[in-house]
Amino acid sequence: MNTIANDFTINIATANGTGSQSANLILLQSLFEMGVPVSGKNMFPSNISGLPTWYVVRLSDHGYQAPGNRVHIQVLVNPATWDEDLADLEPGSVVIWNENAKMEMTRDDVVSYPVPMTKLAKSINSKLAKLVTNIIYVGVLAEMLGIDQEELEAAVAKQFKGKATAIELNVSALNLGREYYRDNHPKVDPYIVEKRPIETPQFFIEGNEAAALGCIFGGVQMLAWYPITPSSSLAEGIINYIPQLRLDEEGNTTCAVIQAEDELAAAGMVLGAGWAGGRGMTATSGPGISLMQEFIGLGYFAEIPSVFWNVNRVGPSTGLPTRTQQSDITLCYEGSHGDTQHIVLIPGTVQECFEFGWRAFDISERFQTPIFGLSDLDLGMNRWACDGFDYPEVNMDRGKVVRDRDIFEAFEEFGRYLDVDGDGIPYRTLPGSGMDPILYRGTGHNTKGVYSEKPHDYHDLMARLKRKIEGSRDHLPAPIVREEKELQLGIIYLGSMENTIQEIDDLLEATGVKVSTCRVRALPYHSEVEEFIRRHETTVVLEINRDGQMYGILRKELPTELIPKIHSVAYSDGIPPRAKIYANLILSTLKEVSS
Amino acid sequence: MSDKPARRERPARAVKLNVLNEPKDSYTGGKSSLCPGCGHDQISNVIISAAWENGIEPHRVAKMSGIGCSSKTPAYYLGQSHGFNTVHGRMPSVTTGAYAVNKDLLYIGVSGDGDSASIGIGQLIHAIRRNMDMVYIVENNGVYGLTKGQYSATADIGSKKKKGATNMTQPIDLCALAINLGCTFVARSFSGSKKQLNALLKAAMSHKGFALIDVISPCVTFNNNDESMRSYGYVKENEITLHMADYIPHFNPLVEVEVPEGHFRDITLHDGSTIRLETISAEHDPGDAVAALTALHNAENSQKHVTGLLYFDNSKPSLAEDLGLVDQPLIDVPDEVLRPSTDKLDLINAALHG
Repeated sequence: MNTIANDFTINIATANGTGSQSANLILLQSLFEMGVPVSGKNMFPSNISGLPTWYVVRLSDHGYQAPGNRVHIQVLVNPATWDEDLADLEPGSVVIWNENAKMEMTRDDVVSYPVPMTKLAKSINSKLAKLVTNIIYVGVLAEMLGIDQEELEAAVAKQFKGKATAIELNVSALNLGREYYRDNHPKVDPYIVEKRPIETPQFFIEGNEAAALGCIFGGVQMLAWYPITPSSSLAEGIINYIPQLRLDEEGNTTCAVIQAEDELAAAGMVLGAGWAGGRGMTATSGPGISLMQEFIGLGYFAEIPSVFWNVNRVGPSTGLPTRTQQSDITLCYEGSHGDTQHIVLIPGTVQECFEFGWRAFDISERFQTPIFGLSDLDLGMNRWACDGFDYPEVNMDRGKVVRDRDIFEAFEEFGRYLDVDGDGIPYRTLPGSGMDPILYRGTGHNTKGVYSEKPHDYHDLMARLKRKIEGSRDHLPAPIVREEKELQLGIIYLGSMENTIQEIDDLLEATGVKVSTCRVRALPYHSEVEEFIRRHETTVVLEINRDGQMYGILRKELPTELIPKIHSVAYSDGIPPRAKIYANLILSTLKEVSS
Repeated sequence: MSDKPARRERPARAVKLNVLNEPKDSYTGGKSSLCPGCGHDQISNVIISAAWENGIEPHRVAKMSGIGCSSKTPAYYLGQSHGFNTVHGRMPSVTTGAYAVNKDLLYIGVSGDGDSASIGIGQLIHAIRRNMDMVYIVENNGVYGLTKGQYSATADIGSKKKKGATNMTQPIDLCALAINLGCTFVARSFSGSKKQLNALLKAAMSHKGFALIDVISPCVTFNNNDESMRSYGYVKENEITLHMADYIPHFNPLVEVEVPEGHFRDITLHDGSTIRLETISAEHDPGDAVAALTALHNAENSQKHVTGLLYFDNSKPSLAEDLGLVDQPLIDVPDEVLRPSTDKLDLINAALHG
């Protein structure tokens, strides 16, 4: 039998709250330490305990990080999804199933490895049988695939952070799983794991933790937040790192953390901090951003630096709180009533979560405006490989804030909203300084900040705000462009689609299409995005949503002659993007375009 | 005081100066655009006097407000201070954020009953819970002025609109609410009681923690029903149709009213109706929350408004202490302290590599 090494997908079906996440992370970590390119996606329910959850582990020597296009090995522990999971399998798939789940194996066209998981678990510890069951299947997989025992044990130690009893219990469960498989099942499937040399040492980290670290290195002075999936771990990441990174010798902090009463209050606090001259931020998700809209408009109009992280989940409304989507692009970019436009940074890797974490403050203070970090659940809550984080290469940019009286006195004329430099960015002073004291307001105002309903005051103000944000385009992170010399098909994409794009590219190139890619990393989009479209015969805009929101923004802002060159490919079902679905959609779009 | 040397050149006429050698003019603001005679303007004047008399550095105040008639007033006092006229009902959160990064300013918030008892009641409650260090003045008139006279959540039961239904909804007593929440400084006053309000305001400015002053401040224009305890009801005859949007009546401000401790007095309002003010007695122990709530309850039952310092507690830590902040206001912490060193990042990277 031919073997298939490092090129398959494992799907583990368990119930939420049974401890399966620890077991799955041990599996993922041990494969990672063996040098196998691997990714793990947690598809969990919005529930504390009992509802179905799946963990998808993709091994790919190509480096493909997306969930696979099909399942090769199915682990069945949860009776609730048993029949459905079985029915979805292609013939020849492997099924490792819990014999004690009181469920039937109804397929005869699969490789079946029954394991009495519950019974084995009970033999070790009857009280903790439910938890131990999960480690049993990891042991079975390890034996079946040939995962190093040493790496497994190291991963167990890492997961349980040196707690001796937990480590011992889990290691014996691993061994029991291994033994059971070895003694009862001759291997009749082709799947194996092969060690690969590790060229660059990497670690796994979730985007939210990376962004949290970035914010800390950005000098965040106030975090106001309201818990919401999938962003809570970003706020909690900041809280967890403060003791290590932001306390003085007496143990006092340079970063205030306030758990607000709701997202409206969190947004108000962020604006208050920015108004007073501090670096304030919040972390939330779409529903929170919806609630913050009024303050976002105030921040735009009164020109208050403020940082909003949106870890996008599936909308509209409460939507699918634990699933991923790129559907808040316009919500962020054009948030609040009236004419607005906001800077949006869109990380596509954990390194960028870190980098944009600190950079967001600089950009927000430079342009004196609310700014969004737009991540998503896939990037924020799944573990992504990372080489390490780079220290900010520039000093903090505090923007045009006048804190010195001599500088203030040197102004020929000072007006809070006076465009002195012609870039649309005015100078500001801070409360408590006594310099140019004004009453900030969300009402119409003149260049001195005084209430005004005069037509030219309003019109000039709005025109300047437009000019100010327009001027940020090429100050923002440029797109990542990978170009084929044929300049045939261009794909514009963003954010966590980064995980899937190489595989999409390969699938398309296998059909003979030459593909260039351009990952947009900020809005308003960089001028290089426009050039990319201009150079390519056809460009598709690939997004994880229904409506093609990025496409809509491009259509609105591109020169008219470029609009016929771009086409939308948008699809979302809540699951992180699988390459085949998008590649096929692109092919059918190209077909439509050419016909 | 007048014989002290002036800090700057002054007109020949001796100008009264405070402990900072500042004239009262340093504490004034722009011209009010409220209806002439509005109680809110009287409160603005008391803020000016109290800040001047207390020797507050005029630029070290942050003037905070929400939306509504009351929230426009920060433009009319303390012209040397920055201020923020935020969004409706959400001034407490903006103040909290500003306070977190600069705890050394004196935050004076002005709000109305619509702002504080309806749309922003949640934020008020949570600011009280956090014992945020600020003076929070509610200019309470029972109506929405800027939108032309709808009832607010503090309107009394039985109040009757010129056209439309009688208010049968239970009013919210912000002082009782605050005492129940453990607010550390709770007072009630009247816009016409300049002396009492001045004393309360000065005390509130010195208080470490959240100081709520609910000031009954009659609306000269819209609270026009004779039955209301807060009424100005200048339209005596209900059959008269008045185009209120086009007509702003002119009233002289109410005469100054002071009520000795433990006494009450009926105050005649512009329309001839009366309001009964009672000053809490000298025996009242402001540390006794139950006594304060009883006084409020008894006053409500006998259709009176009890004024004075109702509750006070200086034992609770203020928000800055709770946050565990460094001594220096965060906005003065240098960038190189805010951003951890490269060594620290190296340690983080190393730990993540495991």
